[in-house]
Amino acid sequence: MKDDAGGNLNRARFQALCQSLRPDLVRFAFWLSRDQALAEDVVQETMLRAWKARDSLKDETAAKPWLLTIVRREYARSFERKRLITVDVDELIAKEEPMLAASQDQELAELRAALFKLPEEYREPLVMQVLMGYSTAEIAAELNLSSAAVLTRLFRGRKQLRALCGEDTSLDPE
Amino acid sequence: MIDHAQYRRAVLADPHDADAELARHRESCEECSAYTERLLGFEEKLERALRVTPRAAAAAPGTVVTPLRRPRRQALGRRWFAMAASVLVGLVIAGGLWLAAPHASLAADVVAHMAGEPQAWTRTDVPVPSPELDFVLRNTRMRLRPDAGIVTYAQSCLFRGHRVPHLVVQSDMGPVTVMVLVHESVSKPTPFDEEGYRGVILPVAGHGSLAVLAKDQSGDLASVEKVAAQVQAAIEWTG
Repeated sequence: MKDDAGGNLNRARFQALCQSLRPDLVRFAFWLSRDQALAEDVVQETMLRAWKARDSLKDETAAKPWLLTIVRREYARSFERKRLITVDVDELIAKEEPMLAASQDQELAELRAALFKLPEEYREPLVMQVLMGYSTAEIAAELNLSSAAVLTRLFRGRKQLRALCGEDTSLDPE
Repeated sequence: MIDHAQYRRAVLADPHDADAELARHRESCEECSAYTERLLGFEEKLERALRVTPRAAAAAPGTVVTPLRRPRRQALGRRWFAMAASVLVGLVIAGGLWLAAPHASLAADVVAHMAGEPQAWTRTDVPVPSPELDFVLRNTRMRLRPDAGIVTYAQSCLFRGHRVPHLVVQSDMGPVTVMVLVHESVSKPTPFDEEGYRGVILPVAGHGSLAVLAKDQSGDLASVEKVAAQVQAAIEWTG
């Protein structure tokens, strides 16, 4: 990545860029891992790796997807290390309660609890679309899926989420 | 021209899709317009829900932390009671429905499943990436050799209570759907022609059956059977 003068990006500029993107990256890692401490570790590790590999980022506007790819890779690494085979969703919700219940809005709290229960294959593309603003094609490229498969997962994810939240799903297609 | 189900399926996948055909349908259909309004309301809540605040910020002075759930011990007791009651009620309802309802044929259920995934029927030569196909086949104890044809769609679908691979293979007659139904046995090849789809359900010794179908305007039954034989020959069972 080059700065305005055409040289390598300096530390201050890199830090400013990372700081601006960090909140969404932590949120993304949190919804991926459902664990705030792990999410913060993953993003911290991501920043270190990004700094070491900063020359591979040719265009500053591509920083967000570039960092998100590193987050996903780091999360996969942490998963391999910890061997998290089974997950008790209720325990996870209890553990992350302060973060999930930060809002006084009970409806939001219930929606967050429902998101915790959504299978990862649906939760991840949904978070990428709604939180990160990714298009279907961008999600497909990132997850190495076809666009049709992404649309199917998004449809099923939203449908399941609405049902979990007690929304009226009588008009939802099968 | 898209119908209500196609429209709602598309907006459930992407409520902000700016596709012109979707917009035309929304403008001409009061019910789908109201449906979209409600969905966009949910979407707005979803976006706010995803924007969680890190713990440090949540604990800042003036921030009220509302408990999300009851204390765990109490919640566990209630949950067990609720689960037991739900199972009992579910069994009674399911039993009643099973006795009361006419039992749909396997072919009818396969055809009904097609309505839910219209995007699978795209005519294309772009194969699904290998990791995606591997993911769908991961619990099936089968492999699909490349001579099955180009697989352009692969999903793991809920069908009659089981997760089954739903694949689309491109052939001379266009896209052909293959559903691997290891939990459904048939005694002999069963051709069918219903609701605009033509296909055959083939018995697979020791592994249930294989449903292979195409849209009826794509070709005759013999063409579908030819593709079915080709796919069946390309499956390697590993267990």
